[in-house]
Amino acid sequence: MSGVLDRGTLTAGGLLGLVIVLLPLSALGVVPLPALPIYGVNLLGQIMCFALLAMSVDLMWGGAGVLSLGHGLFFAFGGYLCAMHLLRTAFAETHVLPDFLLFMGHGGFPSWWSLFDSPATTALAILALPALLAFAFGYVSFRSRVNGVYFSIITQALTYTAMLLMFRNDTGFGGNNGMTGFRSVAGLPAGSLPAAVLLATLSGCAVLVVLLGGRLLLASRFGRLLTAIRDDEPRLRFLGYDTLWLKLAAWCLSACIAAVAGALYVPQVGIINPSLLDPALSLEIAVWVAIGGRGGLCGAILGAALINGAKFWLAGAAPTLWPFVLSLLVLAVVLLLPNGLLDLRNRSRAWMTDLSRGPLPRLRAP
Amino acid sequence: MIAVAVTDVTVAFGRFVALDGLSLSIEYGQVHGLIGPNGAGKTTLLDVLTGKSRARSGRVTLDGGTDLAGLSEVERALAGIGRKFQRPSVFEALTVFDNLDLALRLHRRSLLREIMVRRAAKHAAIERVLETVGLAAQRHSPAGTLSHGQKQWLEIGMVLMQEPKVLLLDEPVAGMTDTETEHTAALVRSLRGPERSIVVVEHDMDFVEQVADRVTVLHEGRALFEGSMADARRDPQVIEVYIGR
Repeated sequence: MSGVLDRGTLTAGGLLGLVIVLLPLSALGVVPLPALPIYGVNLLGQIMCFALLAMSVDLMWGGAGVLSLGHGLFFAFGGYLCAMHLLRTAFAETHVLPDFLLFMGHGGFPSWWSLFDSPATTALAILALPALLAFAFGYVSFRSRVNGVYFSIITQALTYTAMLLMFRNDTGFGGNNGMTGFRSVAGLPAGSLPAAVLLATLSGCAVLVVLLGGRLLLASRFGRLLTAIRDDEPRLRFLGYDTLWLKLAAWCLSACIAAVAGALYVPQVGIINPSLLDPALSLEIAVWVAIGGRGGLCGAILGAALINGAKFWLAGAAPTLWPFVLSLLVLAVVLLLPNGLLDLRNRSRAWMTDLSRGPLPRLRAP
Repeated sequence: MIAVAVTDVTVAFGRFVALDGLSLSIEYGQVHGLIGPNGAGKTTLLDVLTGKSRARSGRVTLDGGTDLAGLSEVERALAGIGRKFQRPSVFEALTVFDNLDLALRLHRRSLLREIMVRRAAKHAAIERVLETVGLAAQRHSPAGTLSHGQKQWLEIGMVLMQEPKVLLLDEPVAGMTDTETEHTAALVRSLRGPERSIVVVEHDMDFVEQVADRVTVLHEGRALFEGSMADARRDPQVIEVYIGR
């Protein structure tokens, strides 16, 4: 168990636990904390969703050495499914059709949208459909032994294709304007403080569950098999393991986590449009994981929180600086901390010993 | 008894013929050496046996019955063909113990049940192999920290965990020191058993002479000579194409 609960995990888990408990308690007024700023709660919730997303990528990348540059696809898939449910509940209240349907000349929702009336079927769809898509795509790719950078490129292409598809108005999901106009989230008015607290708490719970569950999984024999795939996949195959199924299982689970992240994210930002399918976002997820540190899931959380926190802050303070800051961070990590920020402690110890030894014997003045 | 029968097998890559109508039988209870100059088809033969390459024509059968042509790499491994690669291939991030843990299959039919097996269930078998290959002291070290020779032994140990009927060793002593080579020779000899046949591909002829009961000299995809190593060294054709005067 010591492998599962290392220092990073305990710290992250403790902080998450604190947030999960304190947020609802202070919102209910049980704990007298200073009034919660809705903006801050909302921001925290969004960052949690990004942390989930980063962990889903890390599970595949750090775990099995398979880098996806297209996880925005599953994130957006979950988001769209959730948005459909939110639009149906909004319609039940107001009986006003969303604009995008009116513009397209529809008299009502397509009949199959009624499947999304119930939160239960929506949740089921969010867990199952993106995983199904991942299965179909993964089966074809892994079976033909598409590996490494080729696999990454195909994931990116797939996401881009999905973006082009969703940009079309005819596809039926709002085209480039996307879907918005949510009225309520689980009975709470959308955009209100209680809704923000609920969503942020739920997101926090999801991060905690995925962190602990994921680390247990990685420490299990399944996780060791994933490590073996990362180190030497042919060797594992010649030991009699059909690696296709191992990779597929991890891949579908990863897609599922990304979809849940998307489903929690969309009600917090109040809109979904094809920009989530932009390849740039999917690339950025890999950057969060690389900066935080691969393989242990804690690094993914750290990277996602740090980068997105800095992004939100700089977006207000100095928006033009952001690309430069991000690029410098990436360069610094690649050059100085190839294993990410989580490795800083070990690395800095090595630097200190190097420094104390001194690089070269110095010349002294006589 | 014949473990693997190779009958009239041809393998070609484009216009290059790697194996040219090769026939060969590999018997239980023996260590069979495969030698020959570079490009003679030694590794290609191992590739055909393990399913990494496909034969253009000919048959390969295991135990006189199972035709291997229809089986995938994974199915062949499960049917009892184990292979140590030329380049040591171990899982570097995992410990020596975990490398062996993954190599041991208790449920060959079900991946799910294999994953669920308790660690303790494999313990005794792993300890036995750790002793056999002499890595008991390194059991908790990551495989990546082992020396080249130790990695070779670990990989042999991993293949042993599969309890293979046919054990294929591709250059087991390449890059080893003399002491390591001796240790490996003793290990290979100790692995010989009535239920197992061992094939060794190696350039080190003294090593082959020490371990092999029988050798086949391959040349341009054909068997040039078959017999004992001592006879091979005297055979004029073998001297001509391989050993040199």
